[in-house]
Amino acid sequence: MSASAATAQAERSARLAALLSRVSLSDQRAFEELYRLTSAHLYAVALRIVGERAIAEEIVQEAYVNVWHHAGTYDAARSQPLTWLMSIARNRALDLKRRREVDTIGLPGADDDSPGIEFPADGPSPVELLLAGADARAIRDCVETLEAGAKQAIALAFFHGLSHGELAAHLREPLGTVKSWVRRGLAKLRRCLDQTVAAR
Amino acid sequence: MNLSHPDRRERLDRLAAEYALGTSPPLVRKRLAAIARGDRVVADALRQWEERLAPLAAEVPVITPAPRVWARIASRLGIEMRPAPPPPPPAPWWGRLALWRALSIASTVIAVALGIAKFAQPPGPDVAPIVVVLAGSDAKPALIATASRLDRYLTIKPVGNTAPAAGQVFELWALPQASPPKSLGVIPAGGVVRVPLAAPADESLTNIPALAVSLEPPGGSPTGQPTGPVLYSGAVERMF
Repeated sequence: MSASAATAQAERSARLAALLSRVSLSDQRAFEELYRLTSAHLYAVALRIVGERAIAEEIVQEAYVNVWHHAGTYDAARSQPLTWLMSIARNRALDLKRRREVDTIGLPGADDDSPGIEFPADGPSPVELLLAGADARAIRDCVETLEAGAKQAIALAFFHGLSHGELAAHLREPLGTVKSWVRRGLAKLRRCLDQTVAAR
Repeated sequence: MNLSHPDRRERLDRLAAEYALGTSPPLVRKRLAAIARGDRVVADALRQWEERLAPLAAEVPVITPAPRVWARIASRLGIEMRPAPPPPPPAPWWGRLALWRALSIASTVIAVALGIAKFAQPPGPDVAPIVVVLAGSDAKPALIATASRLDRYLTIKPVGNTAPAAGQVFELWALPQASPPKSLGVIPAGGVVRVPLAAPADESLTNIPALAVSLEPPGGSPTGQPTGPVLYSGAVERMF
């Protein structure tokens, strides 16, 4: 990432953190601005996971209601503001998706595509997304070191919220294989990221 | 399951990684989230993995939710909806930089997402593009202008089916810091098109913080200044 992009990002983080602290004091204008600056991220992430506009809208709605009430629990020393906000939406989307799977289709079958696994026809694929990114440089370099199966499984899980069962169905591989790809992939990712951080 | 015990660190790390990635089974998700509420070590492990993977989430191209989402949030929280925006000040429109300033953050984000294009190209001294996301007052991207530093043209790509009204054309304007807009020419009709520049893009856009697009009669503005409405604008982002 270039110095100017890094500076722009640091400025944005500082601005979002300042807005969050004002929101914790019930500042409505700050909340409105925070929503304006971040909602398109939360919505995009939720929509990719749940795949339905109405549900993604509900997730965004719940996430911001939650932020309004709990902005005071945001700790700037521990996470980036956008990460914190996006985690709220991501985790809600994942919880909801898992709950719906259990409610409606039981455990996903190991053959054929399970319902609900739909990928947008246009736009970057999960692997492209995984390998893209200026800010994501360190993690991108580390992802490059993963074997193809692990790379694809991790991308699908992260961007589309696929469970192990869905990954196995989608990739047409045994569940055990997919689980170990994910497990080993994450462990390798962590070692690689730790080294990158240590090398700085 | 005392996950914060040192012996269990490795297991905690694995569970936290799968939680952040999203592959944990529903019961494990629920359990971990519940434990994290009362256990700082577990909470930190989850947060650290969320931070590690976060740069990936920032790559997802942004999508603006429908206005009803904000309306519902505001009504649930009893937040007054802001009254209609005040009438525009009498200054010339290019002096009212607030519009593209406000958009520049959104466009930075989109530009980062567009880094995809950058990394898809082979590395070299001139791959880093200049990106301008031209968006309307609803902050929705309408046109995306890109160029490499040495290109003598801007590549303009419409987002969705952005096109001028029948019998009219889009004209592209450079908005210098403190002087009136300079025309960069009419944007040719058709999907992905090029607008030629007199000098390499990096040079042409020196001291040009933003671009804008106005609606003009065929052939472009007869006066040398925008005559029709300014539909889109966006900050010039340099991805290098």
